[in-house]
Amino acid sequence: MNCKELVYLLGDYLDGSMEEHLRAELDTHIEMCESCIHFRNTYDKTRIICRQVQLNEIPEEFRERLRSFVTAKGGEYSREIEKYRRMAAEDRRKQVESLLRAFREQRLSPSLTLLFDTHRDRCEKCGAFIRTLNGGEEAKHVPLEIEEHLAEFLDALPPGEEPFRA
Amino acid sequence: MHAERLLDDNILLEELRKGSSEAVEALFERFHGKIYGLAMSILKNESDAEEAAQDVFLTVFQKAHTFKGNSALYSWIYRICVNACLMRLRGKRRQETVSIEEFMPVFTEDGMHASPVGDWSKEVERKTLDKELGTVIKKFTEDLSEKYRVVFVLSDVEGLSNEETAQILGLTVPAVKSRLHRARLYLREQLSRYLREGKTA
Repeated sequence: MNCKELVYLLGDYLDGSMEEHLRAELDTHIEMCESCIHFRNTYDKTRIICRQVQLNEIPEEFRERLRSFVTAKGGEYSREIEKYRRMAAEDRRKQVESLLRAFREQRLSPSLTLLFDTHRDRCEKCGAFIRTLNGGEEAKHVPLEIEEHLAEFLDALPPGEEPFRA
Repeated sequence: MHAERLLDDNILLEELRKGSSEAVEALFERFHGKIYGLAMSILKNESDAEEAAQDVFLTVFQKAHTFKGNSALYSWIYRICVNACLMRLRGKRRQETVSIEEFMPVFTEDGMHASPVGDWSKEVERKTLDKELGTVIKKFTEDLSEKYRVVFVLSDVEGLSNEETAQILGLTVPAVKSRLHRARLYLREQLSRYLREGKTA
């Protein structure tokens, strides 16, 4: 064990998720190394001070404006709950459709390709369906069950990344 | 409908699906502060954060009936919020951020600390000073790229577990741990420099 390895493992060491024998090795090193004692103390202190960080508070003016917006949209929602339901279903259908189209046209991003292939190989239902698309034919009607499943798959993707090229 | 009943996630959702205005109000009261705070910490701009907060509530209304309840309500809402914010950042020119590499510890070839490490942990024992340093840390985190900042805010500031943060961000737990560790190393070094300079000044 050297200082570099100790620093690397410090997070697990301090949150208690480290195996006993590894912890013992780190303890042995720390006992002999003043810099590492200091590093551990200051790293731990940094973690503790972080709890004092306050998120920005919403300014009063913003709060009231947001409240009016939410109340208005919430009211609209309750009056038009069926419309929203249809919109959500439509969105989901479109999302799944563009996923499948991008798949056929090989426009999936590298990470999505990996995730999508893994899902196809693991999931019996989607797998069988997706394999029928491999020939590059136009999408058939997507069964609701598979649409729901693929929509869940899309929901679970890391946010902020473009899953496929336009 | 008693207002307290709406503190239960399942009842709140059920009432939202029915279109209850009390449920809309309860949802707003419970989450608007967190949503705005989280959006500000990602977007660093008040009007962007306000618009993102609006998006979050709209998405919650629209998706309330498809939410399956396989995660806690707040973590579902945090995820919607992070998504809304990252969508806004997409395509926008990123603000200058510091290079986190410059703040990583330096080691010799055989893995020893390249220079002796000082210990300021005892000097900052006092609570008031902790609070002041909280403000300083917040400023430092604003210089981090959002990749690290979001993980840091959810785990170390909001106190979510690594598993929850991973679920919200669609990352693996090891990826969360690694980003969090690097963010802490960066902050530790920034604080060391800040305290050292403070002393000589």
